[in-house]
Amino acid sequence: MPKLLSLNGEFESPATGPLAAGRHRPPWPAENGDSMVRQGVTAAAPELVDAGNWTPECGKGVRLTVDDEVDERFLAANRIAIEFPAFNDGRGLSLAVLLRTRHGYAGDIVATGDVHEDMLHYLRRCGFTSFLVPDERSLDTALSTLAPYSDYYQASVIEPQPAFRRIGRGA
Amino acid sequence: MYRYDSFDQKFIDERVAHYRDQTRRYLAGELSEEQFLQLRLRNGLYIQRLAPMLRVAIPYGTLSSRQLRMLAHIARHYDRGYGHLSTRQNIQFNWPELEEVPDILADLAKVQMHAIQTSGNCIRNVTTDEFAGVAADEEIDARPYCELIRQWSTSHPEFDWLPRKFKIAVTGAPVDRAAINVHDIGIRAYPAPGRRSGTDGEDLFDIKVGGGLGRTPVIGALIREGLPARHLLTYLEAIMRVYNRYGRRDNKYKARIKILVRAMTPEGFKARVDEEWSHLENSASTLTPAEIARMRAHFRPPDYPPREGAAETLAADRLRDPSFDQWVRLNVSAHKQPGYAIVTLSCKPTGVPPGDVDDRQMEAVAGWAEAYGFGEVRISHQQNFVLPDVAADALHDLWRSARALGLGTANRNLATDIICCPGGDYCSLANAKSIPVAEAIQQHLEDQDYLHDLGEIDINISGCMNACGHHHVGHIGILGVDKKGREYYQISLGGHSGDDASLGKIVGPSVSRDEVIAVIQDILDTYLAHRIEDESFLHCVRRLGLEPFKERIYAKAA
Repeated sequence: MPKLLSLNGEFESPATGPLAAGRHRPPWPAENGDSMVRQGVTAAAPELVDAGNWTPECGKGVRLTVDDEVDERFLAANRIAIEFPAFNDGRGLSLAVLLRTRHGYAGDIVATGDVHEDMLHYLRRCGFTSFLVPDERSLDTALSTLAPYSDYYQASVIEPQPAFRRIGRGA
Repeated sequence: MYRYDSFDQKFIDERVAHYRDQTRRYLAGELSEEQFLQLRLRNGLYIQRLAPMLRVAIPYGTLSSRQLRMLAHIARHYDRGYGHLSTRQNIQFNWPELEEVPDILADLAKVQMHAIQTSGNCIRNVTTDEFAGVAADEEIDARPYCELIRQWSTSHPEFDWLPRKFKIAVTGAPVDRAAINVHDIGIRAYPAPGRRSGTDGEDLFDIKVGGGLGRTPVIGALIREGLPARHLLTYLEAIMRVYNRYGRRDNKYKARIKILVRAMTPEGFKARVDEEWSHLENSASTLTPAEIARMRAHFRPPDYPPREGAAETLAADRLRDPSFDQWVRLNVSAHKQPGYAIVTLSCKPTGVPPGDVDDRQMEAVAGWAEAYGFGEVRISHQQNFVLPDVAADALHDLWRSARALGLGTANRNLATDIICCPGGDYCSLANAKSIPVAEAIQQHLEDQDYLHDLGEIDINISGCMNACGHHHVGHIGILGVDKKGREYYQISLGGHSGDDASLGKIVGPSVSRDEVIAVIQDILDTYLAHRIEDESFLHCVRRLGLEPFKERIYAKAA
């Protein structure tokens, strides 16, 4: 059974509207090496309903495909899953970025489908907060490769300031 | 040139460790071939016909003597003593052991080099004018902007898994030596009207998108004019997001951005990008004046000691030695600084695969860059070495040394300065060999007077449709095709990669390897018979059209 790896525990309360005060400020702990990750691992797969059948009343997460457009209705869900048809399909990355930065979605974004350990650091920086790791993939590896780099050049969902605005760079 | 600070160094050191772990997991059977393929491609490692091939990044073609010496060491220690300069201003090693690649990357990291994103469906090494920073005709040194793009695109969280590879080129000169018309994104940088770059006012960019070679050659469409420099990264972000979301992923031959731009129309694509950018404009990724100034400072010109009498010495040397004079005429270009010159060291002597250089040559070039310049070397997309700062009165010494090592051939932009991919000798994608064709042409044109009389002719050879040899933009393009298991070659005419870029037109049915030389000769004969005074080959082809060439080539068969 696939394992659900969550970076910041529970996502009980659904987001309502954009993150007004700090539009780009994430609701989860800021990145800082390993201490960033307050992950939890559960064996239970999240309950999800395909976008076409999902209603705000169903109380379950909504499952999007990587080429879905964002429908404002989905922002009321406490969890949005993005299903990767192949681990190297980058569309899901942009979709998550849009959910976080354009639509201010603050609930859980979970990667499902072909989720590969080596994609986790990209997924995390694009705003994914949970990963449904398939049986054949190694959870140990997934945990150890969550943050292979201590810092990055660009801004991302979890680090909204690019390096050149945050730290003094050498001339 | 750009020097790493502790941030950059830490990042590539961690990259080495990361890749070492990925290699370990592959060798331990934890990663499948396909999974490891995607990971190693993010680090420049291909599995070729005979062995792995490692492509090392030379960002925008600039490297130091120290870096070049490390490449020589890698060629000696991990390879068979040579490397191949690529058309993306990178260097490729054809014989590394997969298990040793992490060690090679560790050696590269010691001299601030890497192989990040030199292959795979991601943003590749950004390229520019090989004369950037020193060309007499230049308005802006494009390299600070290239470095900003390099840093921004390195392990970008959102844009490292694109539908297909993605190539960006920037030029800051009115004469386009960076082929910006045939890139996924081509950027022309220029100072705001009436202002000088770096002193007052903000540089501006014209942005072209959707150019490219490959199976479907296209000239890029201009989608933005006069974009202020501070918006560079956010505007690129908008383009990349539209491409990442809507570019085709169902067919690798239709996955480049040019296909999307064509499907949406350039106007439709532009509208989509502008809409996306409206959300990103002035966001945190907007460049600060301090960051642009910091990057410019890395590329500040050296203090050029005045060279009293350099021009007179050079003139006397040229008068005394006609062979040297010819080399200067062809391989030496005008420098911003009086008394200095830009030297192209040809890596296209007859009998050597175009762009192949051995470790002794690399060591020597590194030494010359220090002895005659300021320790900086360039790689051109025509697969030659460039020494950017040679004192005019030292040219004769340099030429003699270069000639002794096979780097002094006077053929820049002539018909023997052939752009050529590794082809069927190395590459598993190739339909046909390209290196032997290049060599046959070079041998055929060994009469120097004849070669020089022909003037500038770009001959570009690709071993397959992927067009690594840029055959579409060769004045004469040669494309290897497979005909029932036999190597054939399709010849095109009239391509050009500069400002007035054009794509070559196919002259007729493809020909066998044995027939290529005769066809080239027919083409050259037709040109010489029709040219008016000093008319260039390209101009002549454009004026005449294909007919006279066709008639000549195919008359015999009829």
